[in-house]
Amino acid sequence: MAFINIQNLTYQYPTSKAPVLKNINLQIEQGEFVAIVGPNGAGKSTLCYALSGFVPHFFKGELSGSIEVAGRQSSQSTLSEWVLNVGLAFQNPFNQISGAKYTVFEEVAFGLENMGVPRTEMQVRVEAALQLTGIADLAQRSPYSLSGGQQQRVALTSILVMRPKLLVLDEPTSQLDPIGAREVFNTIRNMAKDGTTIVLVEHKVEWIANFADRVVALKAGQVLLEGKPSEALTSDLLAEQGFGLSRYTSTAREAKKQGLWKKDTLPVTLDEAVEGFKQ
Amino acid sequence: MYVARASGLHQLHPLTKVLTALCLLIAGLTLPGNWTSYCITLLIVFPLSAWGKVFPNLLHIVWIVSLPFAISVLLIQSLFWGAGTPIFEFWLFAPKVEGARYALISLGKIILVMSSFLLFSLTTRPDALMIALKQAGMPSSIAYIIVTTLQIVPSFQRKGATILDAQRSRGLETEGNLWVRARALVPIVLPLALGSLMEVEERAIAIEARAFNSHKAETSLIEIPDTQFQKNFRTVTLVAMPLLMIFGILWRL
Ligand SMILES: Nc1ncnc2c1ncn2[C@@H]1O[C@H](COP(=O)(O)OP(=O)(O)OP(=O)(O)O)[C@@H](O)[C@H]1O
Ligand SMILES: [Mg+2]
Repeated sequence: MAFINIQNLTYQYPTSKAPVLKNINLQIEQGEFVAIVGPNGAGKSTLCYALSGFVPHFFKGELSGSIEVAGRQSSQSTLSEWVLNVGLAFQNPFNQISGAKYTVFEEVAFGLENMGVPRTEMQVRVEAALQLTGIADLAQRSPYSLSGGQQQRVALTSILVMRPKLLVLDEPTSQLDPIGAREVFNTIRNMAKDGTTIVLVEHKVEWIANFADRVVALKAGQVLLEGKPSEALTSDLLAEQGFGLSRYTSTAREAKKQGLWKKDTLPVTLDEAVEGFKQ
Repeated sequence: MYVARASGLHQLHPLTKVLTALCLLIAGLTLPGNWTSYCITLLIVFPLSAWGKVFPNLLHIVWIVSLPFAISVLLIQSLFWGAGTPIFEFWLFAPKVEGARYALISLGKIILVMSSFLLFSLTTRPDALMIALKQAGMPSSIAYIIVTTLQIVPSFQRKGATILDAQRSRGLETEGNLWVRARALVPIVLPLALGSLMEVEERAIAIEARAFNSHKAETSLIEIPDTQFQKNFRTVTLVAMPLLMIFGILWRL
C-alpha cells in the first residue's frame, strides 16, 4: 500500500463553476520526493491543499474520491489531527509569519508550543531545525525584519520543525537566490532520504531535474503525465502543451532537428546540455 | 510596536501592565474635573514611561498622531461654537474661548487613551502578552486576535510605505496641495484593503498548519515571571475599575 494514495479525486471550490481537480489518481511512496509542475491555474496549489487537508476541511466545496496519507483517510480525520502528519508551506512568506512572536527562534517554536512539546525538547528541536535550514544566525532577529528569502526559510523551518511525515511545499523557494534555493533543495533532499515524503510545486525545472525522484504534470486539473524528471521534463507532450520547461531542453530540441544534438535524450540542466553538445 | 529596553517596567507581568493602563484610562475618563486626564497623563503615565525608558518613543507617537487631530478639533470647536467670548474677530471668523476650552478637554482624553495604550504596548512583548492572556484562561484564538491586531498597525505602516513607493515610481503624484494628496490616497488605500482581505485566508491557513487548533495542552518557550505582589496588585485594579466607573456615573447624576 502506497504512503499517499489519491483515488478519483475531483474537487470544486464553493465559488468555482467547474471542478478544479478532475479525477486525479496518484500513489506516492514513503520517502519519495515528488515535484508537481503545471501552468498557472492548473490546480497545483489546490492539490497541495487537498494533501494537507485544507481542501475540503477549510475551503469546503464539493469533493469526491479519496485522499489517504499514512493509512488514514482525510475524510475520516479532522484538520487539526491531519496537520500533525502533513506539513504545508506555501509561497508568500509574509503571510506565514504568525505575527505573535518576537524572534525567529520563537516563531519556529510556535507550532511546537501548540503541539504541547515540553520546553527543553522544544529548544533542542528548534535549534536543530534552524541549523538544518541554515538560518541559525537569524535566531534572535525579528521575523519582520528579514528579507523575503529569509522569511521563506523561516516559514519552511517552522513547518519542518514539527516533523511531519509528509511535507507539502508550494513554491517554497520563489524568493530565494540560486545559492539559497540550492541549500533549501539539499535540505529537502536529505529529509526525503531520512524518510519524509516530499510533494513540491516548483517552476524551476532545473532544480527538479537535480533533486526530485518523480514529476507529476498537471494541466486543467488533470494529471497529464508522470515519470522520472529526465523523461517527463523533456517529453514532447509537455512542450506541446505549453509547460514552462528548461531553455536547455528547447535549445537541444531545436539543435536535434538540425542534427546538432546527437544524444537520444534531451537535457534539462546546463551540465547535461554542455555534456551533450561536447559529443 | 514593542521597544526592547532593560527596565523594571519591561519585566512586569504583561497583565499587570494591561490592567494598570486600563485603570489609569478609566480613572482619567470617569473621575470628575475637566483636566483630570491631563493630570494623569503628566503625573503618572509619562513618569511610568520614563521608568520604562520609552518616554521619547511614547511622546513621539503621541505627538505625530494627536497633532492633526488637535488642530482640526481646535479649529472646528472654536470656530463653530455658538455663543461665547470671542478670542479675536476676523471677517466671518470669531473663535470662541469656550470652544477652544472644550477642544482642549477632549484632546486631553485622547492623549490619555493613546499614552496609556502606548505605555503597555511599547514595553510588552506581544508573545508574552499572548501567553499571559492564555494562562489567565482566555481562549487562544481570542488571545491571538488581540495580539496580532497590536502588530498590524506597524505592518500596515510598512506596507503603506511600500505601496506608496510603488505608486510613486509609476508616476503617481503624492505631494502637493490637499486635493492632489486626497486623490493619491485611493490607489494606496485600495490595494492595502483588498490585500489584507485575501491575506486573512492565507494567514488562517498558515497558523492552522502549525497546529494552532490542536486540542493539546499548550506549552510555551518563554517563561513569564510573576510575583505575589503583582497578583495582589492586579486584584486591586480589577476591583478599582468598576468602582471608578460607578463613582464617575454617580458623580454626574
Ligand atoms: N479559494 C478559491 N476559490 C475559488 N476558486 C479558486 C480558489 N483558489 C483557486 N481557485 C481556482 O482554482 C483553479 C486552480 O487554482 P490553483 O491556485 O490551484 O492553481 P495553481 O496551479 O496553483 O496556479 P499558480 O501557478 O498560479 O499558482 C484556478 O482556476 C483558480 O481560479
Ligand atoms: Mg499556486
